[in-house]
Amino acid sequence: MTTDEATKSEGEVQAAALAERGEDITPARDRGVLKIIKRPGSEDETPMIGDKVYVHYKGKLANGKKFDSSRDRNEPFVFSLGKGQVIKAWDIGVATMKKGEICYLLCKPEYAYGSAGSAPKIPSNATLFFEASRAGAVELLDFKGEDLFEDGGIIRRIKRKGEGYSNPNEGATVEIHLEGFCGGTRFDCKDVKFVVGEGEDHDIPIGIDKALEKMQRGEHCILYLGPRYGFGEAGKPKYGIQANAELVYEVTLKSFEKAKESWEMDTKEKLEQAAIVKEKGTMYFKEGKYLQAVIQYGKIVSWLEMEYGLSEKESKASDSFLLAAFLNLAMCYLKLREYAKAVECCDKALGLDQDNEKGLYRRGEARLLMNEFELAKCDFQRVLEVNPQNKAAKSQISVCQKKTKEHNERDRRIYANMFTKFAERDAK
Amino acid sequence: MAVDELQAIIQRCQVLEEADFKGEDFNLFQVAGQKCLEDGYASQLLEVIQNEKNKVIIKNMGWNLISPLVRCIFMYKQEDDKREHCLKILDQLAQLCNPKELFLGLLEQIEQTSGEQVCQTVMLLLQPLQTVLLKLQNKKAYSVGLSLAMIMNQLTPLPVPYTKQQIQEDKLGLCQCCNAVVDFAKPFVSEVVKNMEKSSEYNDMELKEELLKFCMKSLKYPLLTAQLEQLEGIEEHPFRRFATEIIDILWNIRELIPLVFLHRKGKSPHWENQEFADIEQKNSAESLACLSYLMFVQRFGIDCFPMVFSPSYLLQCNMTHIEVLLIRTEESMLSKGLDLFESCLLRMENNSLLHQYLEFRGFINVPQVLVKVMTLCPIEHLRKKSLNILQLFIDKFDAEGKYTLFRCLLKTSNHAGVEGYVIKNIKDQIHLSLMKACDNTWFTGQHLISLLDLVLLLPEGAETDLLQNSDRIMASLNLLRYLIIKDCESDNQTGVWTILPKIEQNFLKPLHVGLNMSKAHYEAEIKNKKENRREAHSSNTVCSLTVSGEKMPAMTTEMQLQVLHSALFTFDLIESVLSRVEELIEVKIKGGMDENS
Repeated sequence: MTTDEATKSEGEVQAAALAERGEDITPARDRGVLKIIKRPGSEDETPMIGDKVYVHYKGKLANGKKFDSSRDRNEPFVFSLGKGQVIKAWDIGVATMKKGEICYLLCKPEYAYGSAGSAPKIPSNATLFFEASRAGAVELLDFKGEDLFEDGGIIRRIKRKGEGYSNPNEGATVEIHLEGFCGGTRFDCKDVKFVVGEGEDHDIPIGIDKALEKMQRGEHCILYLGPRYGFGEAGKPKYGIQANAELVYEVTLKSFEKAKESWEMDTKEKLEQAAIVKEKGTMYFKEGKYLQAVIQYGKIVSWLEMEYGLSEKESKASDSFLLAAFLNLAMCYLKLREYAKAVECCDKALGLDQDNEKGLYRRGEARLLMNEFELAKCDFQRVLEVNPQNKAAKSQISVCQKKTKEHNERDRRIYANMFTKFAERDAK
Repeated sequence: MAVDELQAIIQRCQVLEEADFKGEDFNLFQVAGQKCLEDGYASQLLEVIQNEKNKVIIKNMGWNLISPLVRCIFMYKQEDDKREHCLKILDQLAQLCNPKELFLGLLEQIEQTSGEQVCQTVMLLLQPLQTVLLKLQNKKAYSVGLSLAMIMNQLTPLPVPYTKQQIQEDKLGLCQCCNAVVDFAKPFVSEVVKNMEKSSEYNDMELKEELLKFCMKSLKYPLLTAQLEQLEGIEEHPFRRFATEIIDILWNIRELIPLVFLHRKGKSPHWENQEFADIEQKNSAESLACLSYLMFVQRFGIDCFPMVFSPSYLLQCNMTHIEVLLIRTEESMLSKGLDLFESCLLRMENNSLLHQYLEFRGFINVPQVLVKVMTLCPIEHLRKKSLNILQLFIDKFDAEGKYTLFRCLLKTSNHAGVEGYVIKNIKDQIHLSLMKACDNTWFTGQHLISLLDLVLLLPEGAETDLLQNSDRIMASLNLLRYLIIKDCESDNQTGVWTILPKIEQNFLKPLHVGLNMSKAHYEAEIKNKKENRREAHSSNTVCSLTVSGEKMPAMTTEMQLQVLHSALFTFDLIESVLSRVEELIEVKIKGGMDENS
């Protein structure tokens, strides 16, 4: 018997055993996924939804032919559990496993690749057979949970999964229950209804707004917020929260109503809404809540920037909203120290009105702060061309010149040092 | 004589210690060497270089000869002996010279070349460059990276051969050159692989990063713009070979799977400046799109690919790539985008895509971009293909997904042809719902009514341009006719009978008015034209039309009349369907009343 035949018959035996003795683990009890535990797990904990899981596996077709193995890649396969990233059989199967467990899975086509198959390896209507063993640093990831924005700023652990895939979007109205903790003390506990992006109106930090956009109806989760997503440098005196505090929130998303997507609104509606959010943005800006202001102004851009087929009157109104939005966004980004974005907004504003004084001035400011002195100077000079009375621009020009000079001198010093060093070295 | 001069300086330097060479000696050596080459004494120069006694001199000064040497090699014909000698000299220099200086000398040559000579120069210098790099002690990774970046930068302005003929001809040598560059990189790949095997902790990160950069760059140029389909009659398609090699490198340095799946998100680049990070991301978007195309459409490296992902998730991952490709206008990229989209959709079963996926921005954006390709792309086969793919995309969604998608397309397409197409699809879905008798809440009753509200109307009332909108109007009328025939007033499953008064008000009535106005207008125009026919010979062109720089011939009166008549024909067609629909409504209502009495 050749090895090939040996593996084949081995596969057949296992597959037959599974079909006979395997436990049906499908919620529908339709024997679509059958499982036999080969080696029980070492710990009692099973992974939670959204957790990053590490798996080693080998997959075979009914004829015993291997179609895939993580061992061939020399590294475990990683995915987020329960999110539809993998075939159904896997989301169901891996969720039942314990750390260290090894099991066999038999998956009917309806729980795998169905009639379409997966070219080139998996034919139509194939039953798949897996030997799976979870291995690797699961315990560590278990308490790390899901890093929502890949920046460590918001960590989520889902206590109860929500329904469906649908999430509130920016501008959606949500009803939530939340409890806020700081250093082990509870500082907030309430049921509240608000618009995503405007949580600040209810003393809710921006991180909750952001996290809500990734939650589903009925979801109950714990959120660990870094200071950037919490109350930031300002803290929250009302709750006695210091600057740069880390916060923990427990949130239940009870219900939500989505805001209309851009394509669901007609031009008239967009223009009406633009006036409203512009007001709101300005209000946040005045209170120094720049992140929230960016959200409001951003809406105007997303609604109107790509709108076409406007009447002359509409297009005039739209342009004026866009111009205001870009200028205000630029200001916000200046305050948030995101200068490249500020420049980008100014560019867009100037695209609409090439001699816009504020646009030129703000771009100058942003460039100055990015150490692009020459470009900044050009902008301020343009400001003066448009409005010779602008004193601020005049003084900025001299700042540019001074900075350029300083910069040049520093360069000269550095190079001078370098040359003396070289000379000394050569002398040796 | 040139040779004598060279001998003179050589003899003077032979007695000197290495450290005693002066700047003046370097100059004299270079001038004399160059002169030898120019005067055709390459074989004598070769002898000098091979002479064991001159080893130290060549080691220090040899790199000076690279520039004249390259010039001479290009001057001589392929079969010339002198060319052979020059090539031997180059080979000797690579063996003998100080690697550090020679490296800079070679790089300088590559940097200075341009236009048609780029590929030749690069291919000529790759071998010595590799020899030198392998000998380098310090900053090797950096130097390898610099070489690859320099070479790719020089190649990038060259046009990529696209048709079979262009590829076979390979006029500038780009196809050949690209593959030579991969071969050049191979020893460095092996080095990284060996180091990775040695221990998992010690990874030659720097060299690996450089190779990764090279692969990313290659994916964008030339691969993104290259034709990568199998070509009949070309045994080894040069770009397919190149693509395979690039994927092999990525696989060997274990970056392939992370690139395809993690989008390098967690592995944020080390840029301090956010702006650089953004630029890098934007650059890499196109490279990654090309990589996805190679894997999923051309199936390069698919063997290493995990076979447990769900098809919906694969589509989701690829949506960004598809969008990146479809917003371009070049045939090479558009067709790659369409192929990638198609291959992802073909992996899925019909009706299996959950409507929630429309929450992802890409799932709403991509069909809109697809519509743009369908209506604006000048290349016919791409337009046709994108229409097929739109249908495929629609087919994959569940009922609610289709419903939402239809709404979106009706609102965003701004194109009567597309709207007509969507309306035809709506009709098909209603038909399926009525046939199945199973629960299908989306294409009957309340939901359907709100969709019909978008369809059964004239966008601008009686003033709507009927000719421009004829596709849409015909499709709407057909849909209405279907509803009236299939759905009895007593059943009213579709709800059409409930909104009939509204339909009459918003659609049928203004359509009558519009038809009357348009017909009268066109008839008057025809009469006008016929009367003025005699004067038409005088040049009274109202305006001229230019299409891509070419002036179109002015329309003759005959042609104008033809157009006007065909417009009238369209109006007649609309009118006949309209009256058929109204007839049906009347009959049905009457029938209903008879039954009731």
